[in-house]
Amino acid sequence: MDSLIVAAGRALAVGDALGALDRIALRDDPPALALRGIAMAQLGDYPRARELLRRAARGFGAREALARARCVVAEAEVALAMRDLGGSPKLLADAAAALETRNDRANAMQARLIAVRRQLLLGRLDEAAASLAGLDASGLPPSLAAVAELATAELALRSLRTAVARAALARAFEAARRARVPALIAEVAEAQAALERCAARTIHAGHEQPLRLDQVEALLASDALVVDACRRGLRVGDHWQSLARRPVLFALLCALAEGWPGDVERNALIARVFRTRHPDETHRARLRVEIGRLRASVAPMAAIEATARGFELVAREGRTVAVLMPPIDGDQASLLALLGDGAAWSTSALALALGDSQRTVQRALVELEAAAQVRSIGHARAQRWLAPPLVGFTTILLLPAALPPE
Amino acid sequence: MSSNDNATRQIPTRAAEIVREYGPFDGAERIHGVTHDGQRVWAATEANVLAFDPDSGEVVRTLDCAAHAGTAFDGTHLYQIAEARIDKIDPATGAVVASIPAPGNGGDSGLTWAEGSLWVGQYRDRKIHRIDPATGAVLRTIESNRFVTGVTWVDGELWHATWDGDDNELRRIDPDNGEVLERLELPHGIGVSGLESDGADLFYCGGGSSGKVRAVRRPKSATR
Repeated sequence: MDSLIVAAGRALAVGDALGALDRIALRDDPPALALRGIAMAQLGDYPRARELLRRAARGFGAREALARARCVVAEAEVALAMRDLGGSPKLLADAAAALETRNDRANAMQARLIAVRRQLLLGRLDEAAASLAGLDASGLPPSLAAVAELATAELALRSLRTAVARAALARAFEAARRARVPALIAEVAEAQAALERCAARTIHAGHEQPLRLDQVEALLASDALVVDACRRGLRVGDHWQSLARRPVLFALLCALAEGWPGDVERNALIARVFRTRHPDETHRARLRVEIGRLRASVAPMAAIEATARGFELVAREGRTVAVLMPPIDGDQASLLALLGDGAAWSTSALALALGDSQRTVQRALVELEAAAQVRSIGHARAQRWLAPPLVGFTTILLLPAALPPE
Repeated sequence: MSSNDNATRQIPTRAAEIVREYGPFDGAERIHGVTHDGQRVWAATEANVLAFDPDSGEVVRTLDCAAHAGTAFDGTHLYQIAEARIDKIDPATGAVVASIPAPGNGGDSGLTWAEGSLWVGQYRDRKIHRIDPATGAVLRTIESNRFVTGVTWVDGELWHATWDGDDNELRRIDPDNGEVLERLELPHGIGVSGLESDGADLFYCGGGSSGKVRAVRRPKSATR
């Protein structure tokens, strides 16, 4: 390294991005480009940061594999902050391997953690769990240990293991405190607060009640038949039946479950499912058909019986019935939950994370924008979507692949 | 240097013998420059220049001054590269008594004193400049074909260190044309940031982010 690179790196390490740029703003050699990229990232100009880091990585010679790998990792982290999830996992894995063989454990770990956070954002929980299990965080700087524990906590929360999450967050807090990084301490505190907030609502025998995450966990572990409106399906213990692609059947099931233990009138079902207040014979015929389909779908877990005025849901083996609702209403709850992390998402990243087509997501976003619930920045390929965080609600359950496994 | 790649094959090459390692030192994560004042070894550690006793390894002096690259000693004063300048420092007090611009404008890495001049290694430009210590004016320039970190003179031999990937070396070059005369290969993965001879059988080598200073035995060369 040369003198100004060392001086600029020293400024960056204490968060003085402008001081670093002062020293190297006019230099185009690869180490200077890399530091300029990191400075721009610290200043929040992510597109410029990526461009500089890419140029730096290209500029390093064949002998400078270590420096090049570090640039790849830095660029991947900037991409993550931009919520650009389309990058190549192979490139990052190769960089991590290159860093490991050269004993740069901290940066290798950083690369692995970026890969895990990317998998978590994409809802690939199995992959994230496998990656996390392979990491050895011992002897790492406390800031990296905190990030690793946060990822562990996030994974546990999204698979609804709140005790595991609580323990990981306690360790994350301890590590963040030792690292003395205010942003990290705040992030851990925020995650801990999420455990105490309303994560969902339940409707049980006509009564609505807010639930914390651990209460949701307890409800799902109980022996009740749970109609899950977050994930659109029903479950008893470990048995899960998804109705995510059968919206009419799911709406019917929800209405019946909300009416449990009583029955629900035909016209009420028609009004809810077919959205009409003036039912005629064709509606009643359609209702019979849909009830027949629903009956077949849920047969292993529940029966649907006709009554004098309508239908009623009867769980097998005398179980009770509960409905689990998102903490907020609306079809776009999942989308809002993703955007609720406060970062700027591209349409393609949202579509990837939700498992929907880009068109579907785009339509939903346009509706939400009209309702002033989301806003966008940039145009065309650079367009990014933002929503205010869902303060007061933890959105873990609405994130894709949260639970249960399908 | 033009014919260097072909010439490399005939150059006497051996493995560097690391005699002793010092550090890492408290509060010093990286070493950027090294010099020797006849008794103590001085090392540039970004925020300080510290001196340690090479026999005991104990730190005996710490000067509070910016130290981002090479260090040199002219018999009275220390010279230290910081930012894009070279500071002349009174080793008794740590006070900067003069500053001159560094020839590489901040791209400077190694520094040594010899023949009444300062010699400055310019890292990625693969150059060594001889400069006037009073004004900073470049008197002449020698070109190498590897990134130059440390530079030192001993018994009329000009040595420089390389840090250019995983396989690095100390090399003796012809001060007239830059031709490589002798190479000492360092173990894989070890680089040198800062180089100084003790005037006898040892080179002290800064170990960059390892925070170490390594003593390497100087070979008995054919010319001596």
